[in-house]
Amino acid sequence: MGTLLFQWHADPFVLLMVITLIYFHYWISKATPVKNRIYFWSAIALIGITTCSPLHFLGMHVYFSAHMITHVVLLLIAGPLLVMSIGPNPSAPMLKRISAFLYKRSWLAWLAAVGIMWYWHIPSVFDGSFSGMSGFTPMPVLHAGSMLLAGILFCWPLVGPVPETHIHPLSGIIYLATACISCSLLGLLITFAPINTFHHYWMAGSSMNGMLSNPWGLTPAADQQAAGLIMWVPCCFVYLSGCLYLLRHWFAAKDPNTGLEPSISLTLSINEHE
Amino acid sequence: MDTILVPEPEESLPSLSVSNDQGILQWISSVDHKQIGIMYLWLSVLFLVVAGIEILLVRLQLAIPNNHFLAPEVYNQLFTMHGTTMIFFVAMPAIFGFTTYFVPLMIGANDMAFPRLNAFSFWTTFFGGSLLYFSFIAGGAPDAGWFNYAPLNEYNYSSSPGIDYYCAGLLFAGIGTVTASINFVVTILHYRVPAMSLKQMPLFVWMILINSFLILAAFPSLNAALAMLLLDRQLHAHFFSAAGGGSAILWQHLFWLFGHPEVYIVILPIFGIFSEVFPVFSRKPIFGYSMVIGSGIAIALLAFGVWVHHMFATGLGNTVNGFFAASSLLIGIPTGVKIFNWLATMHGGAIRFSVSMLFAIAFLIEFTIGGLSGISFAIVPIDWQLTDTYYVVAHLHFVFIGGTLFGLLSGLFYWFPKMSGRAPDQRLSRWFFWLFVTGFNITFLVQHALGAMGMPRRVYTYPNLPGWGVLNLISTIGAFLMAGAVGLLVYILVRALNKGAIAASDPWDANTLEWTTTSPPGLKNFDRVIPVKSTRPFRDYKRPEDADWKRQEVAYTEKPPDIDITQNNSHGE
Ligand code: HEM
Ligand SMILES: [Cu+2]
Repeated sequence: MGTLLFQWHADPFVLLMVITLIYFHYWISKATPVKNRIYFWSAIALIGITTCSPLHFLGMHVYFSAHMITHVVLLLIAGPLLVMSIGPNPSAPMLKRISAFLYKRSWLAWLAAVGIMWYWHIPSVFDGSFSGMSGFTPMPVLHAGSMLLAGILFCWPLVGPVPETHIHPLSGIIYLATACISCSLLGLLITFAPINTFHHYWMAGSSMNGMLSNPWGLTPAADQQAAGLIMWVPCCFVYLSGCLYLLRHWFAAKDPNTGLEPSISLTLSINEHE
Repeated sequence: MDTILVPEPEESLPSLSVSNDQGILQWISSVDHKQIGIMYLWLSVLFLVVAGIEILLVRLQLAIPNNHFLAPEVYNQLFTMHGTTMIFFVAMPAIFGFTTYFVPLMIGANDMAFPRLNAFSFWTTFFGGSLLYFSFIAGGAPDAGWFNYAPLNEYNYSSSPGIDYYCAGLLFAGIGTVTASINFVVTILHYRVPAMSLKQMPLFVWMILINSFLILAAFPSLNAALAMLLLDRQLHAHFFSAAGGGSAILWQHLFWLFGHPEVYIVILPIFGIFSEVFPVFSRKPIFGYSMVIGSGIAIALLAFGVWVHHMFATGLGNTVNGFFAASSLLIGIPTGVKIFNWLATMHGGAIRFSVSMLFAIAFLIEFTIGGLSGISFAIVPIDWQLTDTYYVVAHLHFVFIGGTLFGLLSGLFYWFPKMSGRAPDQRLSRWFFWLFVTGFNITFLVQHALGAMGMPRRVYTYPNLPGWGVLNLISTIGAFLMAGAVGLLVYILVRALNKGAIAASDPWDANTLEWTTTSPPGLKNFDRVIPVKSTRPFRDYKRPEDADWKRQEVAYTEKPPDIDITQNNSHGE
């Protein structure tokens, strides 16, 4: 176990990505409230943990389930935190343009995020990405970066920096619910896929040495099922929390129809089928 | 030119009785939402009686050990048809009947968005049910249980055509269910009276909206599975047969991916009914309007994350079981939230114990028992002990009868005066309530014990083990008590239709728009609709000085006055 805790690996490309993010953050928002700084640095910390820490090591070499945790953290937590760290109504025109673009095409954001998630789990792509990881390659940054990008795009229409371009909270609930279903489907496929569908971990057990090959003694089947289930069940709860958050938001917002309008004496029924 | 004159309703107000001045053809050709709603409800009553008779025969067979009243094959057909009918042709049509009838009235619309689609939905359900029952004379009814597990449902093991009728009948009904849901969604989103914002919609309508999305997400899985099974049986495909490279467990996944949401599909609208009934008979606004909606959405989403709890015994492994045990335990939370919403609504209210309210209160108790037994076998080892025993039968009847059916009956006694213009006999209705609730508890409480003692479900007879005979006899007696109660109910309804007292248009001093119409509502629901400015528009209208929206206005525009208790509350009048 001791050796596992020392498995920190920094990848130069990932470092570059993090530095770029920090640069952008301070460039976009010079006088941001502390809250947003906290969001931002939590996101950076999560990115660090998922790309450099022993969790990353486990995910790369030992456990599919650990790998899946990094996906979920990047997509559903780090991405949204980054978006929320921008703070309301930034001055940069680019952000306004992105907001306006995604407001009109929220399905595109949905599709991009879901597409990226599915793409990395196509068995051959999945195994291919690992063989591309050895040595000095941009593969890790592509992998983590695209997950992060998916997370950012996905939540932009919901919590993006320009509040006027948020989609209606009830549409937001449908947006999240459908994503939840897609996520559940993917999780379900992984959970019940034949055990040798994803070769990488199937092979990993034999190639690693000693303690590190399987520190918790999971069987490959249990590991793969746990991976699928992490994507399936806890993710569902994240989406659900999002739905409830949106609903609360909607109810808290003042509604022009609830009593503040001058009274309309009689309202005609519009629906006639005759 | 050959034209067929289809009689259109002109004068006659659609009431509950089928007789009509323009004959039966007018009912068949109707696209009026109230008439279609009534047909759904009668269809449901018809099948309730049929499925009830089926299960009485089953209970007779089980009354004593080693009984030979029914042959095993017949026994299998009867319990299969009972379960299938109750879920697809009693619970669903009853819910859709109330929905089709009352959603337009509650939102101030004159009909559904697509009236002809509405008729289509009803008639496909009707033909689906007829097709299912045709199996009896076509060579044997389906006999593999309402969930129809593979490989028993495959041709090799069930070569009588029963299963084919099961597939075809449920496919038909399933199509009708999906089209009806689309109709509900469009009606609710598009045909509300303009003043009614979503935040002022009656909670029944909210639950139907959520439920319709749930149906749209869940039914495709069932419909696909049925089509696949038909392919297997008719064209020798191999989706569910392991010998041909298929997978029998796939059927269970597809079925429960539909089936668990389905059990919520038949309970969410009921939550909606109770969210109307509790406030009206407690004379208080619902406690936590937004919480009821939020927990409804939570239930709908979580419904898709727990279905594997029906498959704990299939050997999916501890990892899978563990995750689903956890999520199944969690799904109890939003339901619990709702129970507290209703309790808080009653708290401090001026409660009127009408029959409708009696059923609502009984529901709180019985449904909680059902929820607790559900939670108990969300724990995997307990489930391994209890699965496929009478404990499961007890659980599902406590939630289906104590939940769904009590809700439908509560809704029936609440809305019957509106639909028929007549009031059912109070004294008899109370008799019915007590008979039915007593019979229900006698029948199903003992089944918890039978299950714990290991009596398997779906086996046509049992050995004379200590206690088994007595408990089963008690259960059978309870079942006949319930049957007697249902007979009484039909008598109460028919008598009320023929010579019941004329009902007022607003007998309960209710809150929502359907009560602003005459009883029964005229051919055209509304010429004008009263202003909608809160969730209780009719109450606002009747008590303008104490209207909900006035209080809201104060809340929005002024800071609430600081109340100084030392001044003996001088703000009150
Ligand atoms: C508190 C929430 C609930 C939990 C945790 C729960 C859990 C379960 C579990 C684990 C089973 C499988 C038992 C077995 O076959 O071994 C089951 C069966 C069943 N439940 Fe629930 N349940 C809950 C609420 C409900 C509700 C609200 C309904 C319907 C309105 C319902 C309807 C059913 C039915 C119909 C079955 C039996 C299916 C069959 O095997 O024929 N349950 N429940
Ligand atoms: Cu279930």
